[in-house]
Amino acid sequence: MALDYRKCAEEIFSHLGGKENIISAAHCATRLRLVIADNSKLDIKALEDVEGVKGLFDSNGQLQLIIGTGTVNKVYDEFLAVTGLTAASKADVKAAAASRMPLWKKILKTPGDVFVPILPAIVASGLMMGLVEAIPKFVDGFENTGWFGFLDLVANTAFALLPVLVAISAARVFGGNIFLGAVIGLMMVHPALMNAWTVTPTNQPPVWDMGFFTISQVGYQGHVIPVILAVLLMSTIEKWLHKHVPEMIDLFVTPLCTVLITAFATFTIIGPVFSIFENWVLAGAKWLITVGYGIGAAIMGAIYPLTVVMGLHHMYNVIEAGMISATGVNSWMPIASAANFAQFGACLAVAIKVHNQKTKSVALPSSLSASLGITEPAIFGINFRFMKPFVAGMIGGAVGSLFASWMHGTNMAGETVSFGATTYGVTGIPGIPAVNNVPMYLVELLIASGIAFLITWVIWKEDAPAKKEAPAPVEELPAEPMPSVIRCAAGEILQPCKGQVIDREQIPDETFAAGILGEGIGVVPEDGIVIAPFDGTVTSVFDTRHAVTLEKDGMEVLIHIGVNTVNMQGEGFTAFVEEGAEVKAGQRLLGFDREAIKNAGYNDTVVMLLTNSDDLEGVECGLK
Amino acid sequence: MKTFEYTITDPVGIHARPAGLLVKEIKSHAGSAVTITKGEKSVNALKLMALMQMGIKQGETITVSVEGGDEAATAAAIEAFLKANL
Repeated sequence: MALDYRKCAEEIFSHLGGKENIISAAHCATRLRLVIADNSKLDIKALEDVEGVKGLFDSNGQLQLIIGTGTVNKVYDEFLAVTGLTAASKADVKAAAASRMPLWKKILKTPGDVFVPILPAIVASGLMMGLVEAIPKFVDGFENTGWFGFLDLVANTAFALLPVLVAISAARVFGGNIFLGAVIGLMMVHPALMNAWTVTPTNQPPVWDMGFFTISQVGYQGHVIPVILAVLLMSTIEKWLHKHVPEMIDLFVTPLCTVLITAFATFTIIGPVFSIFENWVLAGAKWLITVGYGIGAAIMGAIYPLTVVMGLHHMYNVIEAGMISATGVNSWMPIASAANFAQFGACLAVAIKVHNQKTKSVALPSSLSASLGITEPAIFGINFRFMKPFVAGMIGGAVGSLFASWMHGTNMAGETVSFGATTYGVTGIPGIPAVNNVPMYLVELLIASGIAFLITWVIWKEDAPAKKEAPAPVEELPAEPMPSVIRCAAGEILQPCKGQVIDREQIPDETFAAGILGEGIGVVPEDGIVIAPFDGTVTSVFDTRHAVTLEKDGMEVLIHIGVNTVNMQGEGFTAFVEEGAEVKAGQRLLGFDREAIKNAGYNDTVVMLLTNSDDLEGVECGLK
Repeated sequence: MKTFEYTITDPVGIHARPAGLLVKEIKSHAGSAVTITKGEKSVNALKLMALMQMGIKQGETITVSVEGGDEAATAAAIEAFLKANL
C-alpha cells in the first residue's frame, strides 16, 4: 500500500514537541534529518511507530528518521507544508547543528539565506523589468503605449514590493511567523507612506508628530537590510513572548505586541539610523566622484555593488538628476554601468563555469538581467553568495569606472564633463541609446565585464560537490597503486592509507590486536587520507566519520582510524563517501586530521580488518 | 525462545570494539541463534558488520532474542556482557 505522505508527516510532526522544537529540516537519500532544540520533548517511541518510519537515531545533534529512497522526499515536502518550515539543504542542517560559524560569516550568510528562496520571483521580474525598460530606448514612443504600462506593472511588482518578499523569507529564516513577517514587510511599503524612490531634497516626506518625537512617512521601497533587521527583531520578540506569555492569552497578546513593538522600532530606530547612514553614503558618493584622476570614480565603481546590497542605490537618482540639471551630462551613469555590468560579467563566468545545474539555472537568467541593469538577482542569487565573483565584479567595476573617467580627462570639481548619459535611471545595455559616446560606452562595458569575468573565471571555484556524488576517482588515484596487505580466496585487499604497515598484533589496542573483530593489519599513517582498498561498495560510514565498512565479493572490511577516536565525535574527520557508494580502489573514503587526533590524546593508527575472516578461506595478512 | 530488552548506557553506543566483543561473546555460546532488534530492524548478532550498521546509540533500547542451545544461559551471559560493557 502506498504510504500516505501527508499522514506520515503529520504524525512525525505531532511527536516532535511543537514547531518551536524543530530548528531545521532536510533530507538525504533515505533519511529525514531534523535538528531538534530539545530532545527531551521528543516522543521517540511514538516516532518509531509512525507508519513509514523504518528506524531512527540521533547523531551529531541531528535526529535522523529512516524513511526510504523515493519516499523521503515526498514525506519531506509534506513535512515542510505541515510545519511551515523553510526548505533547508543538508548543508544548512549541518550548519544549524554545528553553529560553530564565526559571527561575521553568519551575518554575511544571512542575506543569501533570505534571498535564495525568493530567487524565482526576483529572477523572473528582474529579467522582465530589464527587457521592458529596454524596449522604449530602441522603439520610440513605446513607453506611451498601453502595452508598456501593463508589462511594466507585471515586471516591477516583485521589485516595487520587494520588502514584502524579503520579510516573509526572513521570517522563515529567523523562525518567526511568516504572516507577521508579511505584515511588517507590507507596512514598510504601505501606500500611505511616501515611496522612497520619489524622495528628493525638494520632495521630502511628511512626518507624524508624536509629541516628543516624529516619524517620517517614508516607505522602504528597494530596501533589503532594514527589512531583514526589522524581521529579525520581530522574530526575536515573537519567540520571547511565546515563551513568557501565558498560553491562554498568547494568541492575541503575542502577535499584537510583536507587530506593535516591531513597527515602532522599525520606524523610529532602524529607519532613521538607516536614513542617516544613507545620507552619509550619498554625501560620500557626491564627494568621491569629485576626487581627481579617476581615483574617486574607480572607488565608487568598486563600492557601488556594496551599496546595492545595502539597498542604498535608489538614492543615486538624486545625484544623477542633479548632474543633468547642472551640466546636462550625467557622468554618474558610466560608473553605475561599469559596476553593474561587471556584476553581469562575474555572474556570467559563474553561469558558464558551474557544474551544479541548479546554480547554473539561476546564474544564467540572473546575468542576463544584470546586463539589462537589474543586478539584484545576480548579486544576491549568485555573486554575493559565493563572494569571490562579487569581489571580481567590484574590481571590474572599478577599472571600468576609471576608464570612463579618463575619457573626459580629470574631473576636478566644477569642470565640465564630456562623457556620460543624457538621462538617468538606466545602466547596462538599455543605457546604450542614453550615452553621448556609444563606442566609448561599449568599450567601457567590455572592460568592466571582461575583467570581472576573467577574475571570476580564475579565482572562483565551485564548492566540492555534495558527498553523495562520487568524486572523480581518476584524480584521486595515487600515482602508484597500493600494495596488497590482506589476501584470501575471495580476493585481495590493498593498503588503505599511506604509511608503514604493521601486524595486527602490534596495533595499540587490545581488541583489535587480539583479532576479536577479525584478521587484519594496521598502518601508521603518513597522511590523513583513507582510500578504498578495492573496487567495492561502502556499506556504512560511521556518523562520527572515523570508520567505514566496505564489502566486495563476500569480503567485509572495517577501516577504523585511530584508537578510541569514537570519542572525538567526528571532530577532525571528513567523509568523502556516503553509505551505498560504489567506490574504486584508491578513491578517497575518509579524511582525518592527524594533529587533531594527537591533540585529543589518541593514537592515529589506521586499522583495517577483514571482519568475517573466520568465514573466509586462505586469509593471509601483511605485505608480501 | 528467550527475549530481553536492554537500554544502552555507553555514551558512544555500540561502536566497533564493543560490537566485536559482543560478537565474540555470542560466538562462545555455540548452538544459540541470537537476534538483536532495534525498532523495526533485526540483525543476526553474529554479523559484526550488520550490528555496527545499526548504529545503536546511547539511550536506545534493543531487544535481544536467543533461540536454540541453552537459551537461559546464553541470554544471561549476553545480558551480563551488555551491563558490563554497554
